[in-house]
Amino acid sequence: MSANPDRVPTDAELLAAVSEGDPEAFGTLYDQHAPWLLVRLRQRTTNQDLADQIAQETFLVVWREAGRFRGRGAVGAWIWGIAIRRLLDAQRGAAAQGRLTGLLGRQRIPDAASAEEQALATLEHREVIRALNRLSPELQAVLQATVLDGLSTREAAALLGIPAGTVKTRAMRARARLRQELA
Amino acid sequence: MREADAAGAWHADGEVLAAYRDGRLDTAGRWSVEAHLTSCAACRLQARALVDPARLRRLRATLIEAVDVPRTGMVERLLVRLGVADHTARLLAATPALRGSWLLAVAATLAFAVLAAWVSRGPDATLGFLCVAPLLPLAGIAVAYGPGIDPTYEIGLAAPLRSFRLLLLRAATVLGTSTLLAAAASLALPRLGWGAAAWLLPSLGLTACSLALATTVEPLRAIGITAGAWVAALVVTVAPPEPSSVLFAVAGQVAFATLALLAATVVLLRRGHLESDRGFDTTPRFAARRLR
Repeated sequence: MSANPDRVPTDAELLAAVSEGDPEAFGTLYDQHAPWLLVRLRQRTTNQDLADQIAQETFLVVWREAGRFRGRGAVGAWIWGIAIRRLLDAQRGAAAQGRLTGLLGRQRIPDAASAEEQALATLEHREVIRALNRLSPELQAVLQATVLDGLSTREAAALLGIPAGTVKTRAMRARARLRQELA
Repeated sequence: MREADAAGAWHADGEVLAAYRDGRLDTAGRWSVEAHLTSCAACRLQARALVDPARLRRLRATLIEAVDVPRTGMVERLLVRLGVADHTARLLAATPALRGSWLLAVAATLAFAVLAAWVSRGPDATLGFLCVAPLLPLAGIAVAYGPGIDPTYEIGLAAPLRSFRLLLLRAATVLGTSTLLAAAASLALPRLGWGAAAWLLPSLGLTACSLALATTVEPLRAIGITAGAWVAALVVTVAPPEPSSVLFAVAGQVAFATLALLAATVVLLRRGHLESDRGFDTTPRFAARRLR
């Protein structure tokens, strides 16, 4: 893959090779990303078999759709975007599946990390931590879905089982509360 | 709870990662780790220690096998030449991995046909039996390609063809083959009569119809419409006290054969609509991807 065997290929390089149909690059990408993906999926479902299944489906989508990665943001965030939507789909059950797939299919998977996400990645401030932890579970859930998982308002509404309007107001309330606490 | 590398950047250490996996972190800690893992290759390598290696290997083997597809077989090439999209052909073709399911499905279908021909002569033949009769082979085919048996089940799940369309497609191919087999057997053994083949034609006709309808409406609705039409046709044509119907006589058989042919033509002409799920805009290339 590379002239220098010691150099570890970047995620973007791996993904480019995968889009060319290189199974070896796919294996390397799996080795890099499967562990955290499995662990993170297990945070969202208690069912290990489901987590395995979603991870498997996710990597099959990665194999198929590698060429659609736009190169902005982390590959890991892109992979998670696929996985969380698959999980959402599975959890919504067969009845709602077609509808949801239609809904999700029209939206591109965002691959650029939001400013909030980048802030979270280097989160160090004790006050921020305290403020986040003090938010009510409802507000935390909305922030997790919209900020951390990168879901749209409609997707977050489907995940949490609340109206889209409620997602919006709760997200605004959560941000206002955080600003207030940090002021 | 956190350590800094030489460049002063934040990294999650093994202890934090383990606490994360076990759900022992508070919200902010959990979010920090999750956001960090998506972008930090060094911490992702550490995360490898959190997962059972056997589980990772098992998943990896399944995935590599799925993407490392063998070269195309004769059946698949034939299907592609007949105008079936390459990824559909792959799912339908009797690749070595699928041979078991295929044989099981054909065997179940033929067994059903013999059973139906036998029951229909006895005293147990009722309107209810006639109603569900064409659905029984479908159930057999669904089981044969189910999660426990079909090794490509997962691929089927992730494939752009949603499961009901796939089931209908498989049913149509299995029933088509079975009907030909039963007809050939009837020709070879005149004493066997046409009974077995005659029981498969309605199934084939109805499946083909559902498939044709599925090019315009949701597959589940297509199946419902076809099933409703079938029951209605039975209720209209069954003449008491005998629970038999013109649908099972020669005229009905000819009608079903024609219906199957017509529906197959519609499916062939409108196959583009069958393969793209509305709004689901993935390019269906995975299943047919070949090694260079």
